[in-house]
Amino acid sequence: MTTQLRIDQLQFERQDEIILQQINVALHASEILQIWGANGSGKSTLLRIIAGFIEPHAGSIQWRNQSIFCQLDTYQQQLRYLGHQNGVKPSLTVYENLCLYSALTASRINSRILNQVLDHMNLQSLSQTPTRYLSAGQLRRLSLAKLLLNPAPLWILDEPLTALDSEGQDFFKAALLNHLSTEGIAIIATHHLDLTLSTQTLHLGTLSSHV
Amino acid sequence: MFSAFFTLMQYEIKITLRLAYSWLTPLLFFVIVVSLFPFAVGPDPILLLKIAPGILWVSALLAILISIDHLFRDDAQTGYLDLLLLSPHPLSLLMLSKIFAHWLTHCLPLIIISPLLGFLLHLPANEEYALVMSLLLGTPVLILLGAIGAALVVGIRSHGLLLPILIMPLYVPVLIFGTGALMAASLNQPINGYLAIMAVLLLLSLAFAPFLTGMALRIGVNQ
Repeated sequence: MTTQLRIDQLQFERQDEIILQQINVALHASEILQIWGANGSGKSTLLRIIAGFIEPHAGSIQWRNQSIFCQLDTYQQQLRYLGHQNGVKPSLTVYENLCLYSALTASRINSRILNQVLDHMNLQSLSQTPTRYLSAGQLRRLSLAKLLLNPAPLWILDEPLTALDSEGQDFFKAALLNHLSTEGIAIIATHHLDLTLSTQTLHLGTLSSHV
Repeated sequence: MFSAFFTLMQYEIKITLRLAYSWLTPLLFFVIVVSLFPFAVGPDPILLLKIAPGILWVSALLAILISIDHLFRDDAQTGYLDLLLLSPHPLSLLMLSKIFAHWLTHCLPLIIISPLLGFLLHLPANEEYALVMSLLLGTPVLILLGAIGAALVVGIRSHGLLLPILIMPLYVPVLIFGTGALMAASLNQPINGYLAIMAVLLLLSLAFAPFLTGMALRIGVNQ
């Protein structure tokens, strides 16, 4: 099985302080990497590096055997990034936010898929509500709904389960399993997911990686 | 690709119109500052006429400077900028779309109301024409240049006066030719030369600013 995403000897510093070092990861199709670590251990920074927002100071990240920074455009088209913020416009409605998002990612808006996703995430009744009136959990559902709008092989998720109720967590786990069954890869920073789902874990701070 | 340009612009306009304070603030600022001058320097028409070009252009410039700070700030706080950066569409096209939407919602109202304020300062018809034309050509340049600065400081939490200090020097040429057009009109001289130079500034900034804004944003967002 070929390695899809490989991280070698990654190191990152901020203001002469080493935030991340000796990060080594090899991910194959249908695998989940779960990133553990105390608050401030660099989980979000690592995810932003893997998503290609920041360049590391040393080490390499390869997607399908080529450095991501040599193919940033093609690479970033194949990933869906969900940060700890939800990336929604507060004054647009749920439906409009999804329309805007699909316009930014895909070339045209498919209202059938859009409605399916709304149904699936149980957001249909809120579709005409401006998102500034949504609760934290509902906002999280909306940002997870964006993941389902158009498929991509790599998911990079920062605390996706924060503020979600048990029903929302079940939705997410079902979506994640579906993503894996289509040979998808997920990199998730979370304390909530049970370890049975993830195939690899990375402990930040202690710098140990085991399979 | 261009559907993304228009969809983004449409939603940006929709968002601004829903938040009335966002587009009303620069407009009200412009109206208030200009209408304060007759009180401050006295209602003498000759004096007002003489300083009108400066009053109108400086007030418009400051009003735009106030609005430009919001171009990326809210988007950075909600994490929406990440989506723009990850989009497969060219970032400069998306930036141009945002900038154009910002101009339509924040500058166009200002230009529409400017003849009325010119009337308040006793401007004759040919100066009113010069005012509207110079603002039509000059304000997009101010927004385009301001966007580069706004993108650079987006990651800095409390930047205070950093943005005005960064972009004010770039605004000076626009200010000089903008007021120059009005002064030429007041002397009944042709203004086409001034407008042509402003059109050149507009085309130059249109060619480079969206691209530079995109680059600045990639740097700024990770500060």
